[in-house]
Amino acid sequence: MAANAPLVESKGLSWFLDAFVVGAASTPDGRYFMATLGDGTARVLDLTAASEGWKTFEIHKGGSLCFSPDIEAGAFLSGGDDGKLVKVAVGGATDIIADLGRKWVEHVTAHAGSGVRVYASGKNAFILGKKRGEEPRKLTHATSVGGLAINPKGKRLAVSHYDAVSLWWLAAKDGQAQWLPWKGSHLQVAWSPDGDYVVTAMQENALHGWRLSDGQHFRMQGYGAKIRSMAFPKRGHFLATGGADTVICWPFTGGGPMGKAPMEFGGMMNGPAVTAVAAHPKLDAIAAGFENGTVIVGQPGNARVIPIAQPPKDREPSPITVLAWTPEGDRLCAGSEAGDLHVVDFRSLA
Amino acid sequence: MTATAQIPVTVLTGYLGAGKTTLLNRVLSEDHGKRFAVIVNEFGEIGIDSDLVVGADEEVFEMNNGCICCTVRGDLIRIIGGLLKRKGKFDAILVETTGLADPAPVAQTFFADEDVKKHTRLDSVVTVVDAKHVMQRLEDTTEAEDQIAFADVLLLNKTDAVSADELESVEKKLRSLNPFAKIHRTQRCQIALDQILDRGSFDLNRILEIEPEFLHDHGHDHDHHHHHVEDMDTISLSSDKPLNPAKFDAWINDVLMSKGQTILRAKGILNLADADRRYVFQAVHMMSEAAFTGPWPAKDKRTSRLVFIGRELDSDALKAGFAACQV
Repeated sequence: MAANAPLVESKGLSWFLDAFVVGAASTPDGRYFMATLGDGTARVLDLTAASEGWKTFEIHKGGSLCFSPDIEAGAFLSGGDDGKLVKVAVGGATDIIADLGRKWVEHVTAHAGSGVRVYASGKNAFILGKKRGEEPRKLTHATSVGGLAINPKGKRLAVSHYDAVSLWWLAAKDGQAQWLPWKGSHLQVAWSPDGDYVVTAMQENALHGWRLSDGQHFRMQGYGAKIRSMAFPKRGHFLATGGADTVICWPFTGGGPMGKAPMEFGGMMNGPAVTAVAAHPKLDAIAAGFENGTVIVGQPGNARVIPIAQPPKDREPSPITVLAWTPEGDRLCAGSEAGDLHVVDFRSLA
Repeated sequence: MTATAQIPVTVLTGYLGAGKTTLLNRVLSEDHGKRFAVIVNEFGEIGIDSDLVVGADEEVFEMNNGCICCTVRGDLIRIIGGLLKRKGKFDAILVETTGLADPAPVAQTFFADEDVKKHTRLDSVVTVVDAKHVMQRLEDTTEAEDQIAFADVLLLNKTDAVSADELESVEKKLRSLNPFAKIHRTQRCQIALDQILDRGSFDLNRILEIEPEFLHDHGHDHDHHHHHVEDMDTISLSSDKPLNPAKFDAWINDVLMSKGQTILRAKGILNLADADRRYVFQAVHMMSEAAFTGPWPAKDKRTSRLVFIGRELDSDALKAGFAACQV
């Protein structure tokens, strides 16, 4: 890893909020970062006045469990262990979108283009449109939902669970799910940018992928740790993943990753595992966060990585849980289990 | 730098009506200075409305790791992952299972999942047994037997509902099904909570302290005790001769690989040749761990002891295999 001082020291700011950072994203205009935390708060940072720090809003009685940007620009969604799905505007206005009582809202995602919000609790996923007071469409699965992802076009929903991924058409009023079966417990799920591949991270430290156009499926393995995070860059020519001591990038060009070796970058042999990855919105660069709180930006095939943040010196190091870019890719936000938040500004580097 | 403190987890099992909910409500309402997150099977009779009481779904998953009996509770992995986002809000976790639950996948979850293992530690499996009805339950079901055989602590509850003789024979039965567990006789689950919480039953360093029966000679033949109750076996092996470390490792691995499905639990304190410290071993089905702990007390005879609880165990083969490890 490069020996340079981490960028956050010269071009960024760091905070310690002492609560698990569950999710973060930028607003579409790139002005704000929004985050939710395990202490039930939402935090908003105005990048035009970053030195003033994060504004705090109480949104859950317990903690936030999941986070997604909302379909409304400038708002985001947080699901909590108080059973509530809350929409929060950057100014702090909240709106309870759903209330499941004693059930936890464990997963949430949304697609602005198609105006759809999806949330999940236990075995059920719920599809909700824009209209206020509308009954959500309930999708029940045989086992608990491990992850949710809407395809880039906003037409289909992938729900990962035990033994399969269920694919649903978002616009259909009813109908059955298409099953992509594979034995085992499927956790996170992701779509490739062209919508042809669905990939899951599994309980057994492996990935499973399906190509929808011809039904081929494949397994990507060799990981030493759980794969908590994966991301396709905009061009979709590789898939970057955590779960190893370097960032593992599987090629998705020319027929997919079958029979090919992954590329890798960053990290140290037998060093801490990668716990979070996020693709730059425009370039091939990947931001990666490690188990010990280190954050870097790099890309496969390039030995040079930019150090962004180092483990804290005065506290126990904590895994990076969240990485989020602004839409222009000129700022990056990183959050950790313990409550570290870093924001770096790349603009002056250009 | 210190390691992250692991949150202790107590698993509460027992047949329907044995008194689990009574115990749960006591743990939740008594002033013991600990804040519990509670994973319940049903909210129904829980007297406390707290956002730290969570409903479970009992989803048993197989792990694709080549170990056929390695089942875990997917819902527990999920729920504990969620609870861990609220760090600092609770000190301990209590997991209630249904009366029909198999305790093995619950226990294995704490050894098989990386995140759960890193942040929590299984403290004890506590099984509540209804003194009046347990004999009938044992005849009717295998679940009751599994829960008793698996326990670290047995609460022999509702003792006021049976005669002294009946109680004696029930306790004898429990002991025959499980030579490890600490048995407490209770009414309405009245017991000092420090007798069921923070026991460290899966802590190799504490195996030596906690099994009363396990550590004492029974006064009869040193080689081998064998009880048979219904189809549950407990097999105790002992030896005053030291064991060859390589032979023992190879043998125990082979036993767990080939017979792990039938072994509920195993524990051992072993005298390995040329080692001054005690080698402590435990297993839940195929999952095992072992480590050297403290030195043998100078005045004690260095006797190796190894106990298996399981079904259809081949006592002759185990006895012969163990004997072949002796130097």
